[in-house]
Amino acid sequence: MHGEMPGFPFPGRPGGEHDEPLLDMIIARRALPPDAPQEMHDLARMLAALAGPAEPGELAREAAVRAAFRQAASPVGVSPAARRPIRHRRSRSRASRSRVRLAAALVVAAAGLGSVLAAYRDVLPSPFQQLAHVTVAAPAPHHTGSLSSTDASGARHAAPGTLQPNSGPVPRPSHPRGTGKLPGRAHTPRPHLSPDLPPPPGHGPTGPACRTQPLHSPGASQGAPAYPSPSPIGFPVPSCPGIFTLPPSQPTVHSHAP
Amino acid sequence: MIGAAFGLTLASAQGGDETAFACLFRDIQPGLLRYLHVLVPGSEAEDVAGDTWLHVVKGLPRFRGGEEAFRAWLFTIARHRAVDAGRSRSRRPDVPLAVAEAAEHPLAPDAAELALEAISTQSVMELVKALPRDHAEIIMLRVVAGLEATDVALIVGKTPGAVRVTAHRALRRLAGLAERAGVTH
Repeated sequence: MHGEMPGFPFPGRPGGEHDEPLLDMIIARRALPPDAPQEMHDLARMLAALAGPAEPGELAREAAVRAAFRQAASPVGVSPAARRPIRHRRSRSRASRSRVRLAAALVVAAAGLGSVLAAYRDVLPSPFQQLAHVTVAAPAPHHTGSLSSTDASGARHAAPGTLQPNSGPVPRPSHPRGTGKLPGRAHTPRPHLSPDLPPPPGHGPTGPACRTQPLHSPGASQGAPAYPSPSPIGFPVPSCPGIFTLPPSQPTVHSHAP
Repeated sequence: MIGAAFGLTLASAQGGDETAFACLFRDIQPGLLRYLHVLVPGSEAEDVAGDTWLHVVKGLPRFRGGEEAFRAWLFTIARHRAVDAGRSRSRRPDVPLAVAEAAEHPLAPDAAELALEAISTQSVMELVKALPRDHAEIIMLRVVAGLEATDVALIVGKTPGAVRVTAHRALRRLAGLAERAGVTH
């Protein structure tokens, strides 16, 4: 405590107001005069050692600090780098949406094409086959009767007015080959729906007609499916209402028969 | 101290020159670490120093001033980081009782042990740590950081005159400790 009190210098140690200029020189790390007390010189050496160069381990974190500096001083900057992933995310989401749409379109196209092919192969369930028959001129469903006729060129077209025998094997409808085109609706004869009107020319008795299924006819096949309910008077009910039918005794003329 | 080349070095570092920034780091880091060793215990000083440099990196582009001002700015940041570290440490006191008691009583370095050593940085650091904390801090800021009394006064919250008086007292006490430890003649 003596050294800290002015006017009471501690023996052998710097103290008192008279040493303050020397202490200021030590703090400022200036060279002491040669006639300064040895204690002052010792203190100056101590402080010089305290402010000495770096010792091993004191610069160990230089790499980490430099890395932080590089990141902060990057010419790209933080905000553009932070925005770039957002742009990538946006473009990725757009691309994924486009891919989903394309995949959906491909699935729909494949399903439609497959349905059309299945319709032309006549393997669809009857309601769908009928729809395909109406829309894309695919063969009519065979279990409701194969409606066919043959035009002058020998091509067989769907003819709603002709019923195939239900007991026998149902011939699969075929389309003209070698013509290079699918039969369109324009080639399909329109059914004659009005019983009051005469059949179109060329469709008279040999034209397309609904073939009746006599319910109690001895010639009817036992395994034939039952067609519309019997009429109260015992006459066969035409399966195509409104279409002129021939009596069961007259044979149905199949124009496509060889 | 970098000296006359400081302005160019700082400008280069502010422009993104990593080598210039490394020059600043190597010049200041040893004194910074020694200063923090008298404020926070053990290896925590290195963590606080790293945190300080992160703040320096963030604020470096906006800094304006010379070498003295740069050092004052950096050691001010370091002191704030050390105070924050002390607060968080006080919220989770995990210092063993024996160590805590030892910290309250200034360590008297083993005279024989210190006498065997030459005057090294580490031995003087042990003597400085034995000083009262405000004395040790002012010694470190004045001698190691190379700050003027006015800058130290701003950092520690005292007047420049009080800083000067405290520095003188600290040096006298340090001389007494060194004499008793046998470090000096």
